[in-house]
Amino acid sequence: MIRQGTKRVGLIDYQAGNLQSIGNAFEHLGAEVVAVREAGDAANCTHLVLPGVGAFGFCADRLSSSGLTPLVERWALEAGRPLLGICVGMQLLADRSEESPAAEGLGWVGGSVRRIPGGHPEVRVPHVGWNTVTFAESCGSFAVGDEADFYFDHSYAYSDPTEGSTVASCRHGVTFSAAVRRGSVLAVQFHPEKSQEVGLRFLRGFLST
Amino acid sequence: MTRTRLKKRLVPKLLIKHRLMGAEVLPVLVTTRKYGAARDVGNPVSQAKIYEAQLADELLVLNIDGTPIRGDAVMLGLIERLASETFMPLAVGGGVRSVDDFALLLAHGADKVSINGAALDGPELITAAAERFGRQCVVVSIDFRMEDVGPVVYRDRAAERTRWSVTEWAAEVTRRGAGELLLTDAGRDGTGTGLNCEVGRSVADLVDVPVILSGGCGLADHFVDGFVRGGAEAVAAGTFFCFRDQNPMQTRAHIRNASIPIRMET
Repeated sequence: MIRQGTKRVGLIDYQAGNLQSIGNAFEHLGAEVVAVREAGDAANCTHLVLPGVGAFGFCADRLSSSGLTPLVERWALEAGRPLLGICVGMQLLADRSEESPAAEGLGWVGGSVRRIPGGHPEVRVPHVGWNTVTFAESCGSFAVGDEADFYFDHSYAYSDPTEGSTVASCRHGVTFSAAVRRGSVLAVQFHPEKSQEVGLRFLRGFLST
Repeated sequence: MTRTRLKKRLVPKLLIKHRLMGAEVLPVLVTTRKYGAARDVGNPVSQAKIYEAQLADELLVLNIDGTPIRGDAVMLGLIERLASETFMPLAVGGGVRSVDDFALLLAHGADKVSINGAALDGPELITAAAERFGRQCVVVSIDFRMEDVGPVVYRDRAAERTRWSVTEWAAEVTRRGAGELLLTDAGRDGTGTGLNCEVGRSVADLVDVPVILSGGCGLADHFVDGFVRGGAEAVAAGTFFCFRDQNPMQTRAHIRNASIPIRMET
């Protein structure tokens, strides 16, 4: 029996993500956390999270062979229920990535993921550390203000998602999408689960959707 | 428009040793001086929480006992607790020998993995780990000592000399896929006499990945030097953060007053 109002977060477990840290953050916020390894595991969930650590091609292959793609598509695109993509879990919403040209993304938001050019002593790649994220007004419900510093750790970034889908941006040599939204799907390049107080506030905002 | 608003990082370094306490083996936070005998400081988890409250940008956790991480329930348990009780990035090293060891640490909550001796034994591990987890996950730790010929890479807690110069090895590991380099001057470790900014700069000018400079921080000015003269993206310090009685926020304010972009609040 699930208590009224309890949030139950399903972490898509396709053997390509840091479930531990994300789960810890949601539990800290009072949510129940379950690993979703097959469609049935998501039955009582209120929110889903698509994590992702590793090369784009590796993550795309794992997601595809996990058999969970139809679940997340039904969940997010047909039923319009909340789903949060994190890091490579965001990049997978693109059509493709320069990192693994042969691999196919989910293509929900379109566009492609490219290597951050670097090439300047101030713009080293990987892009590691705390950088300022500027939120569009349409992302206001996440209660972190217009700008906040979040933790990033990546070499590739979402450069050209479908126009209008970017709800937050960040600059490191080039300006890239720090967050995209399509309907009930929100996806971020940064790691809210590693971004201390501001990250927890952001995740609380996601839980309230 | 500014090129980037990425902040420079202040990284507390937690050196860990296994200690028998009664019937139990526990992870204990220690400091060292010039990579010599370890001095016990206390409980790494409570110290990490203090660092988090003081706005540490990341934690670096290194097992300095030289024991393999595989099967080390003490270290793995520590990483799991740090990941569940703090919400900041964790880089973990010590006793990592294989891609499976990377996976093991990531599964316990590490975000990045640092390798040192394993990279010297078989640098193909760098490439294999970068291909599997992305290069942002692979930190190569380089310990060195200053000699007449220049900075020379040492291994096994700087006890054993290698044939590599720091710049040659830094270029080699970066070519193979290292995502960050952690440079530590063993001769300055724990002395508080300042970072080796010359070696930091020579590496930062050579590679395009971020350099973390370590060994010798005793004053807030030493961090400023590491960022400005040493070209570091991050400065890691153990002893400085363990024993300083000055307010860490004052250290941060001092660094910001030198026009260095760092986080001041969340």
